[in-house]
Amino acid sequence: MFNIEWTGEYIAFIVFSAVIISGAVFMINFTKVVHMVVSLAAVFIGIAGMFVLLNAEFLAFVQVLVYAGAVSILMIFGIMMTKHKESETESKRGLHSLLVGIGAVALFGILFYAIRQTEFPQEQPLQAVEDNTLEIGKLLFTGYVVPFEIISVLLTVAFIGSIVLAKKEANE
Amino acid sequence: MGAWLDESLTWGNALIFFLWGVILLTIVLGFVTYAIYFERKVIGWMQLRIGPNRVGPLGLLQTVADIFKLLIKEDTIPRKADRVLFILAPALAYVPAFAVLAVIPYTQDLYFADINVGLLYYVALSGISTIAIVIGGWASNNKYALLGGMRSAAQMISYEVPLVISVVGVVMMTGSLNLRLIGEHQGNWFWEWNFLPQIIGFVVFIIAAVSELNRTPFDLPEAESELVAGYHVEYSGFRFAFFMLTEYVYVYAIAALTTVLFLGGWHPPAPFLDFVPGIVWFLLKFSCIVFFLFWLRATMPRIRVDQLMGFGWKVLLPLAILNVFITALYLELFIKG
Repeated sequence: MFNIEWTGEYIAFIVFSAVIISGAVFMINFTKVVHMVVSLAAVFIGIAGMFVLLNAEFLAFVQVLVYAGAVSILMIFGIMMTKHKESETESKRGLHSLLVGIGAVALFGILFYAIRQTEFPQEQPLQAVEDNTLEIGKLLFTGYVVPFEIISVLLTVAFIGSIVLAKKEANE
Repeated sequence: MGAWLDESLTWGNALIFFLWGVILLTIVLGFVTYAIYFERKVIGWMQLRIGPNRVGPLGLLQTVADIFKLLIKEDTIPRKADRVLFILAPALAYVPAFAVLAVIPYTQDLYFADINVGLLYYVALSGISTIAIVIGGWASNNKYALLGGMRSAAQMISYEVPLVISVVGVVMMTGSLNLRLIGEHQGNWFWEWNFLPQIIGFVVFIIAAVSELNRTPFDLPEAESELVAGYHVEYSGFRFAFFMLTEYVYVYAIAALTTVLFLGGWHPPAPFLDFVPGIVWFLLKFSCIVFFLFWLRATMPRIRVDQLMGFGWKVLLPLAILNVFITALYLELFIKG
């Protein structure tokens, strides 16, 4: 069942998985908001590591740049700017957490069973290109240029909208 | 040494990687030690002082003594500080600073990692240090530290945008994000280096880079005279040393990056000077940029917070975007034509 070859890739996979899972668990369990953001940043970096393992370097470092860098800092910044409760305490509900625990274990069981049962089709040997960043750029500006432009417009609209909303509040 | 990365990971190869890491770390520590010494000397001369001259011949051991002092100092953590984050922040600041050095090529053959998104790797990782600075400022539980951390976050995010867009022109001219290819693409005459065709990009890059380094005239996050010391005011001993080390490692990284991107890397300024090895040219250009940073510190006053933001968003960003447009037009009309 577990005939695994201990390559560097596999060890890296284990390390990144540990980072992602423990970061996610800590994110939920911490009570201080800043601690949560830091563990979230760890999850983002772990996911970037996974992308590197999948030969998607461009995606990986954009992930680090946008999520681990900018989004995390903006979150921390927002937390610092707004004065709110530094930590939150939850009321303990015994039966509730027991039921949730059973549900989570059941979900894991179903997923694990389904994954083990599935016959994966023999994977096509992917044409590994020399410079996949170049290929992404070519695809974005030839085949996918319309979706790309639409997303740009959408982002600009969201951007202008947030400025309008912020302006309105500032005037009042 | 990049060829080793393609081989399978054996214990022998792991040992080789580890040793190269140690060698680079030693070089960087040596650089930091003497960069601080020269910074104090140069600024001393510019201000008609002598600078450090007591410890060792010509004061050469001054920094060593300072570092030794920092290491044996009492390590204090404020009682109301957030202990875990307070301890984590200096390490979190240093790790990306050292990690970005992996992609910098020194000559045609002397480089560590040859990845095709080298430039993006540099920019992405250097953003992580900002988190560490903000966290350090927050965890200290001190209003000056928090102010410094906030200023730092605002400034570094604002200037990262023009910094990234200003190098897009270079990337377009080369057609690759790989730093080694960008270096290779420039020619053996100095007008074939990127800084002349990309003069707008070069100027924007230098200004944004100085700002990213938190150095004068953009040293608002530290601002000794108004914020005491900014985000690291509560740090002492080796934790403080780590923050300082991070800053100087980034000086190293930015100087090397500027050399590769704009100043032709290891290429000589004229083909008949080809007999001098490439690494010498690299080090010369590198030293010039480091000197330029020290010079700037001795010359410029600090700018105001409101001027800082306006300058970043209203001047540098439009200029950087303009540069991208001009480069695109030029390439479309004259090169592809």
